Amino acid sequence: MTKRGPLAGIRVTDFTWIGAGSFATKMLADAGAEVIKIESAERLDSLRVAPPFKDRIKGVNRSGYFSDRNTSKRSFALNLKDARAREIVLRLAKESDVVANNFTPGVMERLGLDYDSIRAIKPDIIYLSMSMQGSSGPHSRYLGYGLTIGALSGLHHLSGLPERLPAGTGTNYPDHLPNPCHGVFALLAALRHRRRTGEGQHIDIAQTEPTIALLAPSVLEYTVNGRVVNRTGNDHPSFAPHGVYPCAGTDRWLAIVVTTDRQWQALVEVLDAPAWTADERWNTASSRHANRRELDISLGEATRQWSGEELMNRLQVAGVAAGLVQDAADLIDRDPQLAHRGHWVRLDHAEMGVSLYNAPPYRFSSSRVELASAAPLLGEHTLEILEEVLAIGRVEGQRLIDEGVLV
Amino acid sequence: MTSALAGLRVLDMSGPLGNYCGKLFGDLGADVILIEPPGGTQLRSEPPFIHDRADIESSLAFAYANTSKRSLTLDLEDQGDRATFLRLATTADLVIETFSPGTLGSLGLDYTALMSTNKRLVLTSITPFGQTGPYAQYQADDLVGLAMGGLLYLGGYPDTPPITTYGNQAYAAANLCGAVASMIAVLAAEQTGTGEHVDVSMQEAVVMALETAAQFYDLEGAIKKRWGGKQRHAGTGVFPCKDGYIYFMAGGVGGNRFWRLSCDWFEEEGVPGSAQFRDERWFTHEFLSTDEAKTIFHDVFVPYAANFTMEELYRKGQDKHVPIAPVSTPADLLKNPQLQHREFFVEMKHFLLPESFLAPGAPYALSRTPWRMSRPAPRLGEHNAEILEELGMASQPRPTRRAVGATR
Repeated sequence: MTKRGPLAGIRVTDFTWIGAGSFATKMLADAGAEVIKIESAERLDSLRVAPPFKDRIKGVNRSGYFSDRNTSKRSFALNLKDARAREIVLRLAKESDVVANNFTPGVMERLGLDYDSIRAIKPDIIYLSMSMQGSSGPHSRYLGYGLTIGALSGLHHLSGLPERLPAGTGTNYPDHLPNPCHGVFALLAALRHRRRTGEGQHIDIAQTEPTIALLAPSVLEYTVNGRVVNRTGNDHPSFAPHGVYPCAGTDRWLAIVVTTDRQWQALVEVLDAPAWTADERWNTASSRHANRRELDISLGEATRQWSGEELMNRLQVAGVAAGLVQDAADLIDRDPQLAHRGHWVRLDHAEMGVSLYNAPPYRFSSSRVELASAAPLLGEHTLEILEEVLAIGRVEGQRLIDEGVLV
Repeated sequence: MTSALAGLRVLDMSGPLGNYCGKLFGDLGADVILIEPPGGTQLRSEPPFIHDRADIESSLAFAYANTSKRSLTLDLEDQGDRATFLRLATTADLVIETFSPGTLGSLGLDYTALMSTNKRLVLTSITPFGQTGPYAQYQADDLVGLAMGGLLYLGGYPDTPPITTYGNQAYAAANLCGAVASMIAVLAAEQTGTGEHVDVSMQEAVVMALETAAQFYDLEGAIKKRWGGKQRHAGTGVFPCKDGYIYFMAGGVGGNRFWRLSCDWFEEEGVPGSAQFRDERWFTHEFLSTDEAKTIFHDVFVPYAANFTMEELYRKGQDKHVPIAPVSTPADLLKNPQLQHREFFVEMKHFLLPESFLAPGAPYALSRTPWRMSRPAPRLGEHNAEILEELGMASQPRPTRRAVGATR
C-alpha cells in the first residue's frame, strides 16, 4: 500500500494563481492535501503564459514557471461568469476544508465567494486570503507582483551598492518564500485550531507584511537607533573578508566568510601564504574590517588563480565557510549535495514530457512528502472531480463543458 | 481568546537558522523554550545592537526573533544538564535544532534517543546542507548559503560581482521551510501519535527562491543572470523620481494586460512620446526584451517621473490599475498609511530601554486565533528556575560561565 502524505484527507478549493498563492497550495499538495486548482480558459492564470516554455513554444500547458508551482494538484476549469459554474464551485467549497485565493479584495466578493458567503454554507471553513495589501485600508485595492512587493517592503532599497540604483534580488522573491511559507504556516495553525474546537476562520495576509517581518532588523535600527539603513553590497558590519571573490573561468565566484582569526590563518595557509598576507593589518578582525577594500582586492587576485570548486573544498576542509556562487547549470548538473538529496525530480507532464521540478526542501524520516504528479493541464481533472466529489456523472459533466460552463 | 497553537511545547535549541521558526510557533501561542548554551545562543551576537553596544543582551536581531519564548540555559556537555534536557523533551511536541549533523548523536540526544521516551516528538534539524551527503559537514553562514543555493548569482548588476540580499535571506529561507515542515509534522503527530525527524537544508530552501532559473535551463538551455539596475524588459524595473525611486512593472508578468493600462495612464497625463507605446510591437515580449525598447521607454518615462514624488507616482499609477510601488526605505514603512491602517507595527519592549518601540507585528491576521507577541525576548537564563520548578526539579545553583556570546 502506498503511504499517504501527512496532510491526506484535507481538501482545498484553490483559487490562487500566479506566484505566491500557487506556491503555498503546492506545499500543501506535495504533503498530501487534495488541492483542486480552480482555473478558467476565460481568465488564464498568467503563469500559464509566462516563460520559459517547453521547446520555447508558447502554450497554456507548456510553461515551466507554472508547472513548478502547481505540482501534485488537479485542475478544475470553470467559467465563473456563468451562474451554473458558481453553483458548482460553491458545492466544491462546501466539500472542502480550505478555500484559498490571492486576488485583490473585491474579486471574490463580486463572485459571491467571499468568506461570509462560504461560511454560510460551510461554517467551519478555513478561508485564506493573500492579497497584496490586505482586505481593507486605503491601499487595499492596489495591485502588484513580487518585485513591487520587494520594493514596497524595503528589500529592494536595502540590496545592492550604495552609490548605484537599488538592485534587489533579481527575482519576485516575496512570492517564492516569504508569502507562501507564512501563508501555509498560518493555514496549518488554523487547521489545528479547527480540529481542537470545530471552529473555522478567516486568514487575511497582506503580501507586503511577511517580507517586512523578515527585514525586522532594518526597522529596529530605525525605531531604536534612529538610523536609516542603506544597502552595503556584500559587506558585513563587522567581519572581513566577507564577499565573493573571482575564480578561474568566466563569471565564476566564490563566497568566502571569515569570522575568526583562526579562520583567517586557515585561509592564509590554504592560499600558501602569499607575501601580502604577512601584512599585520590582517591580524585582527577589526583591522581586517577597517581595511576591507584593500583586503578584497588582494584576496581577489589570489583566488583568481584557483578553480572555485577546488578552493571551496580546501577552505571547507580547513574550517572556513566558502561556497561557489552557483548558477542553474551548477545546481542541476554538478552539485553533488543536491543530487544526494534528490532535489531535482523529473516528472512526465502530459504535454511537456519529462521535465525538471524542485522537490520539497525538507525530508521526512517516515511520512511521504514528495511530488505526487506533474502540473495539470488546464481543466484536466474537471470530469473526474465532478464525479468523485459532487457525484455529477461524466455525461452531465461533458454537457457542461460543451456549453462553456466548465472551461 | 484561544491560541491556535495552545498546548504545544516547543524546545528551540537553534541558532540563526531556527530562531525565527521558533518565534512563529511562539507568537501563535505555543509554549516555546529557548534552550541556550551558558554563553548565550549565537543570534545574541548578531547586529544590529541597541545603541551599538555589542553585548549578549543588546542584539535587536535576537530580540525580534525570540519573542514569546522563555530562556533556559543548559550546558549539554554536562551530564546533569543533559538529563534535564531529556526530561524536558518528554514533555515536548517539537524540538528545533541547528547543530552540525552528528552533534546531537555524539551527546546521546539524537532522534532515536529522544523518540524512545516520547514517541510523538517531532525533531526538526535545520542545517546548511542537510543531515547527510558530501557537503553535510560544510560550514555556511548566510552569504555562503545564498551562494550555494543559487540566489546570490541572480543578485547585483551585470557589470559587478554578484551582490547579496539584505537581511540574511538564506537564514530566512531555512527558518521558513523549517517552520512549514515542522507544522506539517506536528499536525500529523497529533493525529497519529508518531513523530518524525525532519531534515531541512538551507541550500535547498534557497533553491526554492530561484523563480524560473532552473526551468529556463531545463526547457530552454538558458542561464539566468543578474540584471540589477537595468530594466528586465521595457517598463519593468527601478526608475528615479523626484524624491527617490519607484518600481514599475508596466507589462506585468506573463500576459501583457497591464501594458494597455499603462498606455492609458501616460495618455491621460500627456506624457510626451508615449503615444508610440500603443504600436503593435510594444505588445510583444520579444520587442520589450530588446535594448531598443528599454532605451525608448527610459527616455520617455524618466523625464515624466522626475516631476513627481514616489507617493504621487504610486497613487497615480495604482489609480490606473498598473503595478507600481515606491522603493521604500525602512523609515518610509513607518509612515505607510496602509501599514498604519492594518496596525502592522506593534509596540515592543526591551528591559534595557525605558520606552517601548515599534517592531513588525503580525505577518498574518487570523480572525479567531490572532497572532500575539506574548512576551519580549528573554534575558539569558531568565526562566531557569521557573522551568526547572515546573519539571519538578529543584533549581540547583551552579557556577556560571563567563559569557562569551560576543564572539563565535
